[in-house]
Amino acid sequence: MAGDLKKKSIFAKLGGQKFIVLLVVIVLFTFFSIASQDFRKYTTVLNIFDFSYYIVLMAIGVTFPLITGGVDLSIGTGLICYSLAGGYLVVHLGWPTGLGLLVSVLFGILIGFANGVLIAVMGLPPFLATLCTCMITRGLGSICSKGFGISWPTTGAPGSWFRSIFKMQIGGTKIPIGFIWILIIVAIMAFVLNHTKIGRYTIAIGSNKEAAVLSGINVKFYHIMAYVISGFFAGLASIAYAAVFPTVQPGTGAGFELEAIGGAIIGGVSATGGAGSIEGTLIGVFVICLLKTGLPFVGLQANWQQIITGLVLIAAVLVDIIKKRREAK
Amino acid sequence: MRKKVLATLMTAAMAATLFAGCGDSAGTDTASAGGDTATATEGGSTEAAAGDYKFEIIVKSYQSSYWQAAVKGIEQEAEAKGVTVNCTGPNAESDIADQVNMLNNAINNAPNGIGLAACDQDACLDALQAALDAGIPVVCFDSGIPNAPAGSVVSTVATDNYSAGATAAENLYPALKDKIGNGQVRVGEVNQEATSESIINRGLGFIDKFAELAKADGYTVAVIGNEKYVNDSKAETVAEADADIVIEVAVPAQTTVELCATEASAIMNKSDTIGMFGSNQIAAEGILTANENLGVLGDKILAAGFDAGSVIKSAVSSGTMYGAVTQSPLVMGITTVDVLCDAASGKSVSDVPTDGYWYNADNMEDPEIAPNLYD
Repeated sequence: MAGDLKKKSIFAKLGGQKFIVLLVVIVLFTFFSIASQDFRKYTTVLNIFDFSYYIVLMAIGVTFPLITGGVDLSIGTGLICYSLAGGYLVVHLGWPTGLGLLVSVLFGILIGFANGVLIAVMGLPPFLATLCTCMITRGLGSICSKGFGISWPTTGAPGSWFRSIFKMQIGGTKIPIGFIWILIIVAIMAFVLNHTKIGRYTIAIGSNKEAAVLSGINVKFYHIMAYVISGFFAGLASIAYAAVFPTVQPGTGAGFELEAIGGAIIGGVSATGGAGSIEGTLIGVFVICLLKTGLPFVGLQANWQQIITGLVLIAAVLVDIIKKRREAK
Repeated sequence: MRKKVLATLMTAAMAATLFAGCGDSAGTDTASAGGDTATATEGGSTEAAAGDYKFEIIVKSYQSSYWQAAVKGIEQEAEAKGVTVNCTGPNAESDIADQVNMLNNAINNAPNGIGLAACDQDACLDALQAALDAGIPVVCFDSGIPNAPAGSVVSTVATDNYSAGATAAENLYPALKDKIGNGQVRVGEVNQEATSESIINRGLGFIDKFAELAKADGYTVAVIGNEKYVNDSKAETVAEADADIVIEVAVPAQTTVELCATEASAIMNKSDTIGMFGSNQIAAEGILTANENLGVLGDKILAAGFDAGSVIKSAVSSGTMYGAVTQSPLVMGITTVDVLCDAASGKSVSDVPTDGYWYNADNMEDPEIAPNLYD
């Protein structure tokens, strides 16, 4: 027993699963750099960052429902829907870019709130409730844009300032400043998760809902809040997506949520709820992003990339299960 | 309460009569005016033969402005001909099963004809047999279905995609010629998928033509990457190590811009890459997205695209993209409705090939080109 405790504390000192996952990120990066001379270029790093922002933001948000023991499948198609709605107002109705972006985020919060009410008040299983809103947002997105793809103002065009939120050009060099914002957001949300009522109660709901109810926590409210946070971050992710990619196409987005959820799970969020961290989620997402960006460089066909990502995810969940079994002993 | 319901019903009935009346008079008006626009749904046609035909048209998706232009053409011509057209399409071009479902529903509605832009050239075969059994003529547009049951597809209205792909190679090869011959060089091709006839043929048309032009100059070519394209290419190839030119074909797992961009950047990052080809709007935008960080296009690498849309158009006019091939989706939509009307009235119809045009910064404004460059 004492030995067990000691073992655990060394593991915990190193940051637990986070530490292992960080090692995986470093190993993957080193592997791709050795395997492909084209990979080890500054532009590749830029690409990895660019293509990671929207997944990281979704993942930070979805960490909250995951910790409650639920899930939010609506964030992927939601992201596209919010971006189409905001973009339609900007591109076709001439709204200022800032207002369009605000609409995207508010739309995200609204859908998140709807998810929360369906789950916490009406008692729908999270998987089912958010699967429904996933389908709804997929269709809504097409309706919002009248079924057409939306190209937010391209770099250099008037109203394209939001594209430089994530990437600044200083001299001839492009700086991925988006990553700085991500680090700040991670710090804030880590604080929210560990040191505020919203965060503490989210964890409480996930580890033992009945105990949470009995101890007088307004479980419904905090349960809804977890989904509102997820929706809010899907809204932020929609801005990141619009800033990096030239067009937003209706009908896409299904599957994005799996990369975000996968990242969170790899980063140590328990698949059954009750435990997880924002910084772990960040590192976990980078495993997914590195695989996505790196595997084409070593000449692997697209379908193999998905298989490998799936296998990595299985490994992460297995680590979680083994950890739980050890703790139970 | 009951009174209210009755009142509502009567109001509705009166409104309906009103609309029906409007429709009729509009129809007669137009007929007397001699062929002006008739109302799309209600009014009779200017040609007696067109009757009140009802057509079901299924596009590949509403994903890109390309399809927006095609639908515009369809609606325009339906209105002009005074026929009813119901346009549907799946959410994404990779939603093959959804589209087959829509096709089956369309057949159940027993229209006078079906227009179909198939996402997959094999998935629709059973449904086409059902349409044939039900006596509904099918007109394929944009993408043909080569293995369709005999008699089911009465006409195919499509760009000759193989030669349109070749057009891109014919224009890109001369511009790259100076860079070939001093050691191995690489030309990348991004295709959004390997299932639809149009994309496959464009991709193959580019590869085969590029290889043919290279061979004429005495260079050897290797084709690597996606098996479908490597195996189906008719190009004369040598082993990768011995080739002067390596044509590398990438296909992402899903038809989205960011996955096309990931594939494109992997090729564009290679130091020996001199050319790129993206075989539709999404693939071409993927190449442009990858270039946002790499900044290699127009200088180290020359890229050819396909289709238009505001992003590609501005890249071509600024010189970031060397040029692109465009089709005329508007004309394709119009022609599809025309052929459907002919087929429904029992006239014999045949395939209608439409053209692909090369455009670059110099000829974008030309009157033959500009109308095809949809946003």
